Amino acid sequence: MIQLSEIRMTDIRVIVLGSHPGIVQSILDYDFLIGKQQPSVIAIIASGRKQERYFWGETEIILPVVSKIEQLDEECRKVCTAVLNVQSGRRILNSSKLAIGLLPNIKLLTLFAEQTPEGHSLELAEYVQGKDVLVAGPSSVGILLPGFVKLGAIGGTQHKQLSEAGILDSGDTAVISTSGGIVNELIHTVTGTGFWVSFAMAIGGDRFPITTPAQAMLLAEADTQTKRIVYFGELGGFDEYEIADLIDQGLITKEIIAYVAGTVAELFETPPQFGHAKAMAQSQDESASAKKERLLKSGVYVCDTFGDIAVKLEERRQEQKPAARTVKTIGEREQSMIISHISGDIDKDVQLLGRPLLDTVEDNTVASLILSMLLGSSIKSKKAEEFIDYTIRLLADHGPYVSGALNTIVAARAGKDLVSSLASGLLTVGPRFGGAINASADGWLFGVNEGVSPRQFVEGFAKNGGIISGIGHKKYRLDLADPRVSSLKQFANNSNDDRYLQFALSVEAITTTKKANLILNVDGVIAAILLDILESELRYTREQLQELIDIEFFNALFVLSRSIGFTAHYLDQRRHDEGLFRLPDKALRYLG
Amino acid sequence: MPRRKLSEYRSKLLVCKALGLSYKGWEVKNGDSIDEIDNHDNYVVKVDQAIKGRFKKGLVLLGVKKSQLKTGVNKFAKKGYSHFIIEPQFDHAADDERYIAINHDRTGYWLSFSSKGGIEIESHPESIKRALLNEDTNWEEIAQETAMSKDHLKSLSQLFIDNHFVFLEINPYILDENNQLRILDAAIEVDDAGMYFTQEWSEDDLRSPKMLTITSHEEVVRNLDANSPASFNLSVLNPNGAVFLLLSGGGASVVVADEVFNRGFGKQLANYGEYSGNPTAHETYVYTSEVLKLLISSSAPKKVLFIGGAVANFTDIAATFTGVIKAINEHERQLQTQEVKIFVRRGGPRQEIGLAKIQAALEEYSLYGGVYNPTTSITDALNMALKEVAE
Repeated sequence: MIQLSEIRMTDIRVIVLGSHPGIVQSILDYDFLIGKQQPSVIAIIASGRKQERYFWGETEIILPVVSKIEQLDEECRKVCTAVLNVQSGRRILNSSKLAIGLLPNIKLLTLFAEQTPEGHSLELAEYVQGKDVLVAGPSSVGILLPGFVKLGAIGGTQHKQLSEAGILDSGDTAVISTSGGIVNELIHTVTGTGFWVSFAMAIGGDRFPITTPAQAMLLAEADTQTKRIVYFGELGGFDEYEIADLIDQGLITKEIIAYVAGTVAELFETPPQFGHAKAMAQSQDESASAKKERLLKSGVYVCDTFGDIAVKLEERRQEQKPAARTVKTIGEREQSMIISHISGDIDKDVQLLGRPLLDTVEDNTVASLILSMLLGSSIKSKKAEEFIDYTIRLLADHGPYVSGALNTIVAARAGKDLVSSLASGLLTVGPRFGGAINASADGWLFGVNEGVSPRQFVEGFAKNGGIISGIGHKKYRLDLADPRVSSLKQFANNSNDDRYLQFALSVEAITTTKKANLILNVDGVIAAILLDILESELRYTREQLQELIDIEFFNALFVLSRSIGFTAHYLDQRRHDEGLFRLPDKALRYLG
Repeated sequence: MPRRKLSEYRSKLLVCKALGLSYKGWEVKNGDSIDEIDNHDNYVVKVDQAIKGRFKKGLVLLGVKKSQLKTGVNKFAKKGYSHFIIEPQFDHAADDERYIAINHDRTGYWLSFSSKGGIEIESHPESIKRALLNEDTNWEEIAQETAMSKDHLKSLSQLFIDNHFVFLEINPYILDENNQLRILDAAIEVDDAGMYFTQEWSEDDLRSPKMLTITSHEEVVRNLDANSPASFNLSVLNPNGAVFLLLSGGGASVVVADEVFNRGFGKQLANYGEYSGNPTAHETYVYTSEVLKLLISSSAPKKVLFIGGAVANFTDIAATFTGVIKAINEHERQLQTQEVKIFVRRGGPRQEIGLAKIQAALEEYSLYGGVYNPTTSITDALNMALKEVAE
């Protein structure tokens, strides 16, 4: 098993499995208070969001969130040396095995949840055997090596508590406890009597913890820094016999001050289930008294009352107190409700895209401003700017017949105001109207990056009876080219930088052999060229492109452009002012 | 909660199924009809509630005729029992009884067996042989010694492994005159954290001798526990006790109970219980209310309440104490009339706010015994409380 001295020399980088903001924040606060240069938590594995906000000292920071550990890049997995698993007891076995398997340098693991099946704990214990990883739990509040790492709730979750607990400095007394509350109580007792803690570990109150109290004792024994061990055990199980045997064999020589809880069980014929899963003696040997007796026999100082631990430590206190302890605090802080990359005030001056509003406005054309704002950062690319400019003009209107324009017109004729009429048009934008650019981008991105051949791509759609977004037109055919498509193609990159467009064209070559009107349409060509530009000009990665698709960036371009058309139709109708529109009777056939 | 006992009925049913045997027996709950039971000469009727020493306690009826079954069951029901098992009575010679058991520990799954089964087993512990189950297990040899086939043994072990058992015992079983296995008694303990992963048993099959006497207070707390991510438990030990505990944390609560016992107040200890895992203010309000109701109804002349816990890691002291104070406020009058004193010792996140609030409340209601932060040890604080009820 890994030794404590090695952990102290490790650059601790933590991945958190599951969500527990209070504990994560307390780890960051601890890092900050012990003077680390950067937060040790590097990623959180949870679903339903891409990032979480925390504080680094008094400043807000963002931690990335992914839904699966496999989604972390190789570099991130390589630097990770510790995992905090706060997932439920049901998932502990699978998620921990997966994490250990995928993280080559993992050295510490805390398992927080209660109710892990015994069989799962045993299987996990076997799995980690021979691996260089120290596991606390299940049902453990964690491991603490003062001045180096706090992996879990151990020591507290409030920065004030951490500042005042005396746990910023490393000392010579180890604390090992099956109980999470008591581990913190004992840390408090140790620091309250003038000692500093070298190592503290909550074993967890389950029947089969991955690391046993005896194994934790051996770690403390091998640690040159540790001079004495304070131990809390309880009724149930045979851990204290193992410890006593190790002492008898001379494998544990350091002084142990111990308390074994549960003598009260002797009051009952059938004792109640005490707080922890393991706290049930199934034979006389597992009773607190029997275990206390055994430890006493091996020379352990066994306290009869819990308060004696402090008394005993007081006696041990040397004349000279250790050097003055580190005092560092974190001030008032308040989490913002919303964060923005687009704009906000600095000293009451409005900023846009990282600069004063007017500076940004004066440096940009309409197209470059729109693109920068939609992408959330200042973009300087002539090619991108020209393409966006052309696209916005091209998408501004496509006749009053389409659903959105018609809705706007009907609403305007009904006497509705500008915003209501515009909204009624925009509300038709979706999977069948206007949404094709986004869907098409999704298709091209997948096809190109997964190495799917255009034929497989087409077959895939055919098999599932789906239509390919970006392919097909009502009027235009192979022999009657869509003039808009032809003019868009002038923006295509040269040579190798147009792989999305080339893929789209190869798909078109196949579909048009089936039917002449299955040509690459305006939506498809915009999607393909935009992907090419974003990738080659603006260096977007596949993940970033996928994110743009997921957040409907490509749709946004359509909505924005077509709002011009809808607004125009609204104003036009208001000028005509022809009164309420009603379908003529013949327009509808009643089926009875 | 961890290790729990399955009903005798479910245990036998599962063991027989694994061994390919048919099982004759009926599970009867209070109010169930017993008309559908097959005809046999004699029956055994037993209380099936995980109670030790049933013979001595008169909870087993032998030689019951079919017409007497109803009376038999009713006799137990009148004593307050609710779960029963009825089986055809089967007599055999005691000297051919055998024993087999499975358990697990850090080293793996263990099979224990003996040819001296039945009640004999306790006086012949040396007759029990043990074998670790792994690739090197000599199944043939064990088969020979246990009179079970290799398939039987493997299927029993698989039953154990697949369904989160922590203990399985068949004691005794015999080979009958036709060389057929007969299971006479079986017991299974399970790990209730594994319930989600098995179809073979469920909450309904779990038995505890406690269920007989569960109080409404314990029931409320059990429901609270079942519906919250935090955990709660409460056991009433002596309804007329003098020392009442409102504790937090699995470890600290036992430390406090130990101290009560070690100082000679064991007989006056009214309850054991704890809450942990950062419950909400409403949850601690509900929990505290039950403890206070218990306290108020105790007939002890002098009563004390100790609210205690270690230095919490993540439980918010201010929030949890808000619920505690609300409950105390609701019972303020009665507590005052009964001259109850309340002592508090606690630490953890937002302890200053929590402790200051509870101190102010206790002083206002004249219930103040003492409020201590972690500079006073939990046992010292408890001892001040115990002085209140000392002779």
